[in-house]
Amino acid sequence: MTTSSPAPGCPAPSCPAPGVRIRDLTVVYKTPVGELPAVSGVDLTLTPGTITGVVGESGSGKSTLALSLLNAVQPPGRIKSGTVEIDGLGDVVKLGGEQLRQTRGRKVGYVFQAAQNSLNPLKTIGKQLLDLGRSHEVDDLRALVRDAKDLLARMGMDGARVLDSHQHELSGGMRQRVGIMLALVLNAQVVVLDEPTTALDMITQATILRIIREVHEERALTTLVITHDVGAVAEVADDLAVMYGGRVVEHGRITEVLGAPRHPYTQGLIRAIPRLSGDISLARALPGRPPTLGTLPAAGCVFRERCDKRMEICETVEPQSVTLDGRTVACHAAGRPLPLVKRKEYA
Amino acid sequence: MTRSRGGAVARRVAGHLIRGLVMVWVVATISFVIIREIPGNPVQGQYESLIQKGMSPEQAERATAVLYGFLPTGSLWDQYTGYLGSLLHFDLGRSLSTPGVEVTTLIGHAARWTVLPVLAGTLLSFLLGVTMGVYAAIKRSGKLGDLLALSGSLLHGVPVYVIGLLLTAIFTTLWPILPSGGPVDVEFVPGLNPGYVGSLLQHAVLPVVTYTLASYGGWILAMKSNVVAVLGDDFILAAELRGLKRGIVFRYLARNAILPLFTILALSIGMLFGGSIFIEEIFNYPGLGLLLVNSISSRDYALMGGTFLVITVGIIVANIAADLLYTAIDPRVRSGGSA
Repeated sequence: MTTSSPAPGCPAPSCPAPGVRIRDLTVVYKTPVGELPAVSGVDLTLTPGTITGVVGESGSGKSTLALSLLNAVQPPGRIKSGTVEIDGLGDVVKLGGEQLRQTRGRKVGYVFQAAQNSLNPLKTIGKQLLDLGRSHEVDDLRALVRDAKDLLARMGMDGARVLDSHQHELSGGMRQRVGIMLALVLNAQVVVLDEPTTALDMITQATILRIIREVHEERALTTLVITHDVGAVAEVADDLAVMYGGRVVEHGRITEVLGAPRHPYTQGLIRAIPRLSGDISLARALPGRPPTLGTLPAAGCVFRERCDKRMEICETVEPQSVTLDGRTVACHAAGRPLPLVKRKEYA
Repeated sequence: MTRSRGGAVARRVAGHLIRGLVMVWVVATISFVIIREIPGNPVQGQYESLIQKGMSPEQAERATAVLYGFLPTGSLWDQYTGYLGSLLHFDLGRSLSTPGVEVTTLIGHAARWTVLPVLAGTLLSFLLGVTMGVYAAIKRSGKLGDLLALSGSLLHGVPVYVIGLLLTAIFTTLWPILPSGGPVDVEFVPGLNPGYVGSLLQHAVLPVVTYTLASYGGWILAMKSNVVAVLGDDFILAAELRGLKRGIVFRYLARNAILPLFTILALSIGMLFGGSIFIEEIFNYPGLGLLLVNSISSRDYALMGGTFLVITVGIIVANIAADLLYTAIDPRVRSGGSA
């Protein structure tokens, strides 16, 4: 903690990272045919001090989930039900107005996709940094600038030069690092990264991932990384949540989830990754297409259309998430001790 | 990079000036050709009528040259170089309808009655249209937004002379609170006395309001669509997610949305100069537009050419100014970047 302003949260090294508990979160989008769920009844716990990766195809609801952590789902979407509890903040879903604004940036940092332009094109990075400081009542703006330069230097950049630049004078990788700096400079303890390495070349991608990992450990953060790239997430994450059709279908330690996937969708995802060494024809694309908001089945398992382990029960009963030795899986066929007959009674 | 910026700006300004001069030259050439080739050849006609009145050819030639700024006889090339030569000395010839008075003097007197109202109208409509455009964009799903956008479309579609005539009808006949024409009441002594200045302002209200309403529609529509576009930009959402204060986010939004309008600003000033022909005719306002109309009806070709040239130069200058302004406020243009 180098900022001499009043401590937001608490000093990093001594303070335990906050935990995040998402419970029964449902986010709907208003469409001409009614409100359709992008995220349905998601339960997800981010263990303090860990990096949790969220993978899923486009439209699986992962970005919506990420925005929910800041209660920032954009209209026509809205959080219909559920809670997002962050230690020290309470239920973010209930925050609003000034309180919510002060939470964003200060308590929860958010990093945008690299290809997106998350910076005001007309102002230098330094001026935008000062805007950030003034918005959060940072008294010592000099210290803020010093912190920013330190962070940029840690990420291998010339801080003074970057702060003096406009967005268009920076490369994609540099912009992405500036985005990370802006999310961290106020010492937010929870950091959400939405597609942090998409649209970056492989070398820059590796650098960014290394930086995320290092800063995360150094500052004792609780981090959520959203991506569609299983390879990228495998490099940084401790835990992995797999999303499909607005649901978390599998969640656990990343080594276990990737080493021994239990949900057919996770298995399919891993089979679809081509290996550098070995036969490229071994990579198998998942058959079919991911569901859109409109094509989600009303009843039964959302994945059944593309599933090779499909059973009769999958047509009518939505599989519930079951946690077994640290692994959460939502699948009828995932070989668990619960007898199927008994599960039908629940439904 | 920082060091080369000064050089880049200087190069840019020089480029604009050169392009501006070339445009002025083209316009001068066109106005020369028009006067020379207009049916009935006024220059030759003047020359011949002077001879018929008993002047010697040399005298007639000199008199005509004084009137038009170029020789009535001789090769086209000689006439053309003569004309350009006198242009370089800001000599546009003499007026026919106001005998003996230099065209530049007449234009100088008329210019103030056009330039000031046009600038005032442009500024007012810009401020009004931009502010209303922001509201129309933010309230675009409500009644107020619809109403504002509708007012923009409506005013944008109505020709400027219709607006002028409507205003005249309303404020000088139906509800006579404003003078119907002229620049100032004759009973006041010109100078900085309250009566004269008051009368001046009173007479300026209707022309300025007409100029304002004529371009207000364009501003509100352009600003509305720009704000809506910028609202969808990622950096606005990013600014909100960083917890920036509403006022700061609004400034980010407004500055990015207003920027493209500065290029239209120049075009708008040009349009209003064109519109001054109608507006000054309606309000009998002695500006450049009225001067041009009168010079046409009295077949005063030297005056016509001069006024035409001055109005065009005004538009060119406005364009250059707007582009330089753009350079000053947009960092992407400033550093020659291609973002």
